Amino acid sequence: MSYETIQVKPLNPTIGAEIRGVDLTQDVSNRQFDEIHRAFTDHVVVFFKDQQPIPPEQQIKFARRFGDLHAHPAAPTHPEYPEIFVIHTHKDSKIANGNNWHSDVSCDEHPPLGTMLQLHMLPEGGGGDTLFASMYAAYDVLSPQMKAFLDPLEAVHESEHIYRGRYSDRGVDDRDKVYPSAVHPVVRTHPVSGRKALYVNGAFTTRIKGLKKPESDAILQFLVRHMAQERFQVRFKWETNDMAFWDNRAAQHLAMWDYWPNERKGHRVTIKGERPV
Amino acid sequence: MTYETIEVRPVTPTIGAEIHGVKLSEPLGNQQFQEIHDALMQHQVIFFRDQEMTLDQHKDFGRRFGPLHIHPHAPGPEGHPEILRIHADENSKQVAGHRWHSDVSCDPEPPMGSILHLHTVPPTGGDTLFASMYAAYDALSEPMQAFLGTLTAIHDGTPNYQRRSKVAGKDDARAYPRSEHPVIRTHPVTGKKGIFVNPVFTQAIKDVPEEEGKAILEFLYEHNKKPEFVCRFSWAANSVAFWDNRCVQHLAMWDYFPQVRSGNRVTVSGDRPF
Repeated sequence: MSYETIQVKPLNPTIGAEIRGVDLTQDVSNRQFDEIHRAFTDHVVVFFKDQQPIPPEQQIKFARRFGDLHAHPAAPTHPEYPEIFVIHTHKDSKIANGNNWHSDVSCDEHPPLGTMLQLHMLPEGGGGDTLFASMYAAYDVLSPQMKAFLDPLEAVHESEHIYRGRYSDRGVDDRDKVYPSAVHPVVRTHPVSGRKALYVNGAFTTRIKGLKKPESDAILQFLVRHMAQERFQVRFKWETNDMAFWDNRAAQHLAMWDYWPNERKGHRVTIKGERPV
Repeated sequence: MTYETIEVRPVTPTIGAEIHGVKLSEPLGNQQFQEIHDALMQHQVIFFRDQEMTLDQHKDFGRRFGPLHIHPHAPGPEGHPEILRIHADENSKQVAGHRWHSDVSCDPEPPMGSILHLHTVPPTGGDTLFASMYAAYDALSEPMQAFLGTLTAIHDGTPNYQRRSKVAGKDDARAYPRSEHPVIRTHPVTGKKGIFVNPVFTQAIKDVPEEEGKAILEFLYEHNKKPEFVCRFSWAANSVAFWDNRCVQHLAMWDYFPQVRSGNRVTVSGDRPF
């Protein structure tokens, strides 16, 4: 399919495309927005190249065109812009965000539709790539019998084990906090593309409802290994001010933390999604 | 179930019973035969004590339950092709069946049952463990039962028997039976469902990606041997065990090297699993 107002370069046939010809520091026209949305739907994750640092108001404004914004249940927010989640890893960091495969905040009742991350500072000496995997592709190659088995199942997603104390070194006191949990279908249908995607991940998904514990463990372990196959992935090597926009409904991602003690910094804005079906 | 001509002492509520009050070396009356068959159907594996039998008497007992099966890998002694010698001693490099299995499940029509008579047993050790595949099936969740019910497995004797030949120092390029059986089979007599995959003969799940099949099989192998599905039988000289391969898997413990454990097995033919 052709694009008239942006340039779209697929990075492989399965997942990922670069977008050029749009300046995100400026307002995006309706036609450009439509084409960006189409590329996002078709490629699951898109990377905006050749960007300048986007002012927080402008990044928030652009994200709002896709839907209401999502407030992270645990992470500290930007002092002036609560919609901005500051991604910052440096020599004193004890954790890095998302260095295991996951779909963002899948423990929420209404997990994020998508996430936009612009990195303003990349680690000196390289590293800090992000890997994205298509959960359409992971679902498509399952046997018809396995699909029929998984299609009607639901899974429990929890976050207590992940978020409790996670941001204490950034001044978050979570003693009175209850972290979210939710039940979602193991296979979800994307509201725009209509395609089915695997929707369990090794970070938040704790069990499959209606199965015995050892069955649930075995199936989750299989699925978590299955979805991590290289053939479903794109590995993005960032350049300064690139902005990635991924579809949490159809992708999982993993942020490599292979650059300690170097610094990596950026702004993330997250768009609220619908209840998975 | 009540028995009039034999005494039946269950080993566990799930699997296994000792049968008393019968001499297997003598022809069985019809009612006694029927009650032994009933006990086997109910308990899946039955045990007899203090039974002295000749090879012919052993075969005659087996034939009451059906035509005898000739093993594809181990030929019997002169004049007795239906007899499978079971023997381990200080020269043994391996023993038969030390991993969980259902006998010769690679056959298109695997054996209905096996009748093992041991005349020599080690002072201690050499137990056999039996696992109820009914109980293993019943313990699965409904979605898992339904899923497994859609699958077919590939069983092949070649890897197992060729490995055994190799350990025995024999060249063996023979092709052994290879068959497809449902992962969940229905017992032709009781109508109950049981799991029918085992780590000795089952190679793969048919028509699913390899890793998917492996994950399912690995899960089932761990599941099938849970202690709550299992009974463990300690032999004495002239004990007999008779197990129903259609709903039981077993494992022969080889913990008695260099001691001698020796006997004969008669195997009753079965039908195609469905």
